[in-house]
Amino acid sequence: MFDEKDMILEAKHVTRRFPASNNRTLVACNDVNLKLYKGKTLGLVGESGCGKSTFMRFLVSLDAPTEGEIFFHGKDITKMKGETLRQNRQKIQMVFQDPSGSFNPKMKIRDIICEPLMNFGRIKKSEKDAVAKKYLELVDLPADFANRYPHNMSGGQRQRIAIARAIVLEPEIVVMDEATCALDVSVQKTIIKLVVKLQKEKNIAIGFIAHDLGLIQSFAHQIAVMYLGNIVEVIPAEDLNARAMHPYTKALMGAIFDIHMDFSKKIASIESEAPSPLDVPDGCPFQDRCGHCTEICRQKRPLLAQMEPGHEVACHIFGKKGD
Amino acid sequence: MLEIKDVTISYKERPTVKDFSLSLKQGKICSIVGESGSGKTTVIRAVLGLLAGGGKVTKGDILFEGKSLLSNTKEQWRKLRGTDISMIFQDSGAMTNQTRIIGNQFVEYIRTHKNMTKKDAWDMGIQMLERMRLPSGDNIMKSYPFQLSGGMRQRVGIAMAMTFQPKLLLADEPTSALDVTTQAQIVRQMMELRDEYRTSIIVVTHNLGVAAYMADAIIVMKNGKIVDAGDREQILNHSQSDYTRNLLDAVPSLGGVRYV
Repeated sequence: MFDEKDMILEAKHVTRRFPASNNRTLVACNDVNLKLYKGKTLGLVGESGCGKSTFMRFLVSLDAPTEGEIFFHGKDITKMKGETLRQNRQKIQMVFQDPSGSFNPKMKIRDIICEPLMNFGRIKKSEKDAVAKKYLELVDLPADFANRYPHNMSGGQRQRIAIARAIVLEPEIVVMDEATCALDVSVQKTIIKLVVKLQKEKNIAIGFIAHDLGLIQSFAHQIAVMYLGNIVEVIPAEDLNARAMHPYTKALMGAIFDIHMDFSKKIASIESEAPSPLDVPDGCPFQDRCGHCTEICRQKRPLLAQMEPGHEVACHIFGKKGD
Repeated sequence: MLEIKDVTISYKERPTVKDFSLSLKQGKICSIVGESGSGKTTVIRAVLGLLAGGGKVTKGDILFEGKSLLSNTKEQWRKLRGTDISMIFQDSGAMTNQTRIIGNQFVEYIRTHKNMTKKDAWDMGIQMLERMRLPSGDNIMKSYPFQLSGGMRQRVGIAMAMTFQPKLLLADEPTSALDVTTQAQIVRQMMELRDEYRTSIIVVTHNLGVAAYMADAIIVMKNGKIVDAGDREQILNHSQSDYTRNLLDAVPSLGGVRYV
């Protein structure tokens, strides 16, 4: 469903280990392979601590993987250093979860929006007013907001500013880490609409982290489900409801409270908590919480196998024996 | 059992909640939904007499089992809070003292309300934790709050709140900080409490899905006023209010609207 020539970023066998106490290691990402396509959104879903933010931080070079490569237009960004890395940052930008925490409270909105451009010497001081005005309009805010401070704005307005700041450099990729989860549902909806509009106008690739499958399937093109550092399912978003296969994906879907659900049914949920990422079991990481666990699941870690074009599942019950 | 009549609550002369009414029967669950700043939390804090920053009920009355709560003395409040009426907060980890183990705080809480030995209180704590399906209660009693996951902390909070089988449980965004899977577990456990102890529950939440699933009655608030109220069926499917319908429309849903 995606055109391979539109692929702009490819993560290959990305693994990140963090040293932990008592000579243990915490594997935050284990052999992650994902691709980002021009103008498309990749939604990364999973419970807290599953490594989704860790992975996205590699893309913006805030951290580097222990093993593996991330190719952006054929160049490995994990090996970049110094000025090349700095220049490359213009192409990949980020929007954070907490819009109030990601601004300097003493800077005016005009300066916040223009700072990335000033840093790279792309505009002169005298042009700031015009640029700020242009981008405020782009995110549907009045132009006189340029003179405000972040604390004079609501959460939704601040998140719009964060989006404006992320796109002033005309990046090819924007990473959004739970960018709407601090907002009310009605505001969330308008922000998502804005993101989709900007994506269409500017052909940006988006990597979106969320834990709400309902939200992510409303605007992503491709969804990757992550569990304890492993990608367990990659699925085109429009197929999620009908074709999701992995037991974990289904568990996540079953745990969503939906206003259209059947209220007489008990909400399904996995009773246990996710094991600590410090001691991920051998074999399938999901084995202890899975209702279909068999002998092979305890011995061998299932690998992603293609079910249909664009749909990959890592689970032993679907025939492929993991090789 | 709980009757809130035309209550207006003001912070420093400025009314924040206006003419709020609610009546709740034994064993029923009521959800209050609304956007941030709509006054949802203010309402339930008023029920417990815990209005922050000089907030006052300036009009109306709050009756709990026929008695007005507004004229309660400090001593009467102390008898009521934590025994007949309990509260669960958004993050139960934040209400505990980070430098003391859960067990000490649990024992202190129990002994404040009931005359018993430390040993008995400790055992009672373990029993409550295990009833909330927390494995190895003894371990948890010996843990510090920061050693527990968000879901576990929330269950500790609920276990504490349920120790004296309160008649009324106030829950302020009890699942907002949790993962969807944990959220489902907590919601289910709160519903079981209702079935088991006939506890009445008021849930404040911005998650309309959770509100709809749990509640017998739903109240929609905006800018301190009730804009819509009714049972689940009425609010979800036959609401007359544009605001409610817009709010419902904004809830992402599996297999729902796609913007791309």
